[in-house]
Formats: sequence, C-alpha cells, structure tokens
Amino acid sequence: MISTFEQILQGVFQRLQYHLVTFLPPLLAALIIFVITLVIALAARWVLYKIFKGLTLDQFLRRTGVAYMIDSSGRLRATRLVAETVYWGLLLTGVLVGLSVFNSDLTTQITQSFVFLLPKLVVAGIILLAGAWLSQYLGRSMLVWAVNENLPAPRRLAALVRVVIMFVAVVVTAEYLDFARNVFLAAFIILVGGAVFGVSLALGRGMGGGMHRFIEEKRETEPAPTAERSLWDHL
Amino acid sequence: MAQIPLPEEARRAAEFIRRADIVIGIPSYNNSRTIGHVVQACYAGLAKYFPQFTAVVVNSDGGSKDGTKEAVLGARVEDRHLLLLSTPLLAAHRLSFPYHGVPGKGSAFRLVFQMARELEAKACAVVDSDLRSITPEWIDLLLRPILSAGYDFVAPYYHRHKYDGTITNSIVYPLTRSLYGLRVRQPIGGEFGVSGRLIDRYLRRDDWETDTARFGIDIWMTTIAIAEGFRVCQSFLGAKLHDAKDPASDLSAMLQQVVGSVFMLMDEYQDGWRKVTGSQPVELFGFRFDVGLEPVPVNLDRMIQAFVHGCRDLSEILAQALAPETYREVASLAQRLASGSRSFNIEDRLWARIVEDFACAYKERAIAPNHLLRSVTPLYLARVASFVQETETMGSAEVEARIEELCLAFEEAKPYLIAHWDRLAIPSRAGRKRGAMAPGPDPRAASREVPS
Repeated sequence: MISTFEQILQGVFQRLQYHLVTFLPPLLAALIIFVITLVIALAARWVLYKIFKGLTLDQFLRRTGVAYMIDSSGRLRATRLVAETVYWGLLLTGVLVGLSVFNSDLTTQITQSFVFLLPKLVVAGIILLAGAWLSQYLGRSMLVWAVNENLPAPRRLAALVRVVIMFVAVVVTAEYLDFARNVFLAAFIILVGGAVFGVSLALGRGMGGGMHRFIEEKRETEPAPTAERSLWDHL
Repeated sequence: MAQIPLPEEARRAAEFIRRADIVIGIPSYNNSRTIGHVVQACYAGLAKYFPQFTAVVVNSDGGSKDGTKEAVLGARVEDRHLLLLSTPLLAAHRLSFPYHGVPGKGSAFRLVFQMARELEAKACAVVDSDLRSITPEWIDLLLRPILSAGYDFVAPYYHRHKYDGTITNSIVYPLTRSLYGLRVRQPIGGEFGVSGRLIDRYLRRDDWETDTARFGIDIWMTTIAIAEGFRVCQSFLGAKLHDAKDPASDLSAMLQQVVGSVFMLMDEYQDGWRKVTGSQPVELFGFRFDVGLEPVPVNLDRMIQAFVHGCRDLSEILAQALAPETYREVASLAQRLASGSRSFNIEDRLWARIVEDFACAYKERAIAPNHLLRSVTPLYLARVASFVQETETMGSAEVEARIEELCLAFEEAKPYLIAHWDRLAIPSRAGRKRGAMAPGPDPRAASREVPS
C-alpha cells in the first residue's frame, strides 16, 4: 500500500520534474524575451515621441493636412500614431519570438500563420484606412456641395456617401483577405441597389414637384430675367 | 511648375509685329454680343490718347463657340473721325487667340502678359469683354499713369450699386486693406493697367495653375503689386455696367477662388503684413462724377435661409474653422433666425473675426481647403443679408461710409488675426482706438501729377 503510494508520488514528482525541466526554461526564456521586448518597445516609443516632437513632425503633418486624413478632428496626432504602432509592433514581435522558444507544433503554427498573414493584414489595414479617409473626404464634399446647392437633407446624403465608400473598402478588404467574400459582395450589391432605388425615387418625386411648381409659376407670371441674379453677381 | 509656352499662332504674330509699346488684353468666353463694343472702345482710346505709340489689342479666348473671335476681328472702328484730335501715326494690330491651360480668366491673362513681354510692351491694360459702359477714356485712365507717371499698377475705381460687388465690399477690400495697408477700393475690379516691369514679375511666378487661373487672378495681381512694393494707383472709370454673370456659375466656387487666393497670398506675404498697422489712401486719378446705376435685386429670404441651413448642416466644419467664441455667436444668430426672428445683424467686429478665423484655419490646413472655403458661402450670404437690411434706405455716400466702418473694424481686429495666426494669446483690446493706429507703410506714392 505504502509502496504503491510512494510509486504514485514518485511518478507525479517525476512528471513534474520532467515538465519543469522541459517547459520552465523555455517559459523563463520567453518571459525574459517578452520583458526585454517590452523594455525595447517602451524605449522606442519614448525615443520616437522625443524625436518627432523635436522635429515638430506633428506640426508639419497638421500644416500639410496629412494628420487630418487619419482623424478629421485632428485630435489624433501623427507622432502618437507612429510611436504607438512601433510599440505594439515590437511587443507583438516579442510575443511571437517568445512563443517560438517552445518549439511545439502549436506555437510554430501560430507563428507561421502570423508571419504569413502579416503582410496581408497590413495591406488590408491600409485599404481600410484609405477607405476611411476617402469616405470622410467625399462625405464632406457632398455635405458642402449639398448645402450650397440648397438640396434637402444634406447630412443624410453625406452619410450615405460615407457608408457606401466605407462599404466598398470593406468589400475590397474581404476580397483581398479571402474572408466571407460572397456575404460582403451580396450585402454590397443590396446596399448599392437600394441606394440607387432611393435616389431614383427621390429624384422622381423632386422633379415631379419641381415640374409642377414650374408649370404653375409659368402660368401665373413670367419671371423677371434678373430675379435670381443677386446671388451670383457679387464680384 | 513647367512654363506654358506661347501658342504657336501667337508666337508667329509676335515675331511679325516685333515690338509694341502698348498691349490691351481682352479675355473672353462666348462674349460675341458685347466684345465688339469693347474692341471699338479700345481702338478709339488708343487712337485718341496714344497716337504716337504702337499698340496691339489681344483677345485671349477660352474656346468660344458663338463667334467671339469673328466679332473681335470684324469690329469696325468708325469712331476715329469723331474722336481724333490728331491723325494716328501707327495703326493698332488686332489679334485673337485661344489660350492654353486651366480654363479661366487667369489663364487668359497669362497669354496677354506673355504677348506683352514678347513685344516688350511698356504698358498693358486688361479689360473685361462683357462691359457695356467702357469708353475710350478708360484706356487713357488705365495706361496714362504707367506711361507718364511711372506707376506699375493701376486699379479701377467705379461707382457701383450698393448691392453690387459685395464680395469686394464685405471681404476682399476690407481684408486686403487691413493686411497690406493700402486703400485700393476695387482690388478685384476686372480692369487693370500694368507696367512691363510688373508683367515680368507676374510671369516669373509659378502659381498660375492655382485658383489664380480662374477668378483669383484679379486679387492675385493686386496683392502682388501692393505686397512687393510696386507703385500702385487708382483711376476713376465711372460706372461699371456689364452683362449678368452666367446664372449657372457657382457662387461658392467663385468665393473659393477669390478668397482662396487672398488666403494663399496671406501665407506668402505674412512677414510683410504683420508689420502693417492702419491704412493709407492710394492716389486716385480721373475726374469723379456721379452716374446712374442699375439696381441690383436681392433675395433676402433666400440668403437668410441659406445661412440658417448652412449653420445647421455645416456645424462640424464651422466649429472647427471658427474660434469657439466666434462660433458661439454665429450659432446663436442662426438659432434666433431658425426660431422665426427676422431682425438680425452680423456686426462688423464679428464679421471681421469670422473672416480672420477662416484665414487662420486655411493656414492651419485643419480642414481641406476646398471644404473650408466653400463653407464660407452661408456666412457670406448672411453678412450680405445683414448689410442689405441695414442699408436699405441709405444713399451711396452713406453706404460708402458704412463700408469704411467695416474696414476700420478689420483694421482693429488685426492684432487678433496676428495672435490667432501665431497661436499666441489674444491680446487685450483695451487701449486700442480707431484713431490711435500707427501710420501704415509708405504708399510709395510719388508724383501726383499725371500729364494727359
């Protein structure tokens, strides 16, 4: 009985020892790598903040308008963006290097998948970023134009433009990543079809009303040729 | 930026003519109805006032389809025997070419200036092709100060209806005057006299393909002449009567081009205008007389509606472009109007700040320039509506006095502009009085006598 108990305990200790001997050094190594990477990432972030601040990069990017491409309010500073990207990039690299220390099938697969996917993810991110900027820019163009042309519901028109462009960006990204492409494509077709239908209805109704008013006005009186000149003759 | 060469047709004509003392430029686009009269007036002016000079009249056309070129080349100049005091020694040439580059008035002017440089002209005048009130005297008034008194730039001075030229009256004149310290009353008038020296300077610049190529050309020419210290004067031309602009033309696009050019040049000449305080009058030539003016109808309700809707829908842009205090005042004004009130007034002080805030926002590039500049339109219409309400019963002299008050408000607000421009603390307004402004820069006025 006692010898059996001793054998079991011995087995447990042996397995524990085996696991400790097998996994603790890599775990420690991974931890050390992670800590070193964290320190490097923190240092890199600090240095980048200092360097870009010294170079007044934020001011330069703000003046040239590049900073506002990323955030229309201009609150997001380009220096911060670069520094944070580098920080998280280094940290992620540290995690992956740490995982590779274990040299198991799972960790190797994770690392390989990530390395394989990374360029695609970066490109996808760029596509989404460009789409976000374009949707902001064209949405605002539509807003300003619609206001100056005195069109009804300019904000909704601007929002529609933003949504459509952002959706195009998402569809392109999904297509690029080969991720649920049919779902996004179908949704996109439905959205565009709906938008075209809505615009057609609005135009039809608007033109009908406008035509009616025009005929009524024409019937009542001939408009003075200079009646609307004032708004356009200010130079 | 690559220089656009003189078109082949124009180059051959220049080689044939070789030299000319005077070049008169007429930009056009589908102006066959009026351009004949303008060409006749130019010819009569040259024959009557400059018979001893060789001259060329150049029509720079934007691809008219209505026979503008034929109207220019076929205009019969029969007035000579009515006008001549002496026999002309040299006949003026008449040319009509299409210009190249961005379609617009600025590109048309460039071809005229290129021709003037090629022909080594001493002076060049440009006049609009839709003028109905041009007389031969305009040619004398635009060229004489250059040829006989050594001026480099002659700006026009007209009598206009109180509701005509409101971009000039409410933005361009007050702002240009407060910035550069010279009271050029019609900085975007459309008719100018320019010396050969100044033409060289214009053609050396590389910003011809910006808003300058379109409606921005007038303020661009005036600002460069003032800011770079060329000798500037004005000539009184009487009334300006011209064809109504194309109703399809876009007010906000026009505002964008004119105001964008002002702001662009503000950035370039900031070292100069920072030092300027107050303003000084500019020499005015010509005999001043009162003229009958065509009334300009205004649609007040439409302007107010445009303002109310614009403030509501463009709040995001306006909040970003304007200083918080300015934005609050504008928003509360729009709110009052939206709630049914019809009495409103955009004070001079507030309007000056609005314009200056936009100038700073343009410099900062906080918003894309085209979005920013087109967002001025509702506020501009509100200011015009406010001005119309205020001056409804006023005569032209009173209106002019009112515009003078606005200009002084812009001059008073200049420390605010400079502080805002530099992102510094806004200085206290205490102690600043209208009369207490330091004298402006030397207006570079020399001889006041212009021999005729």
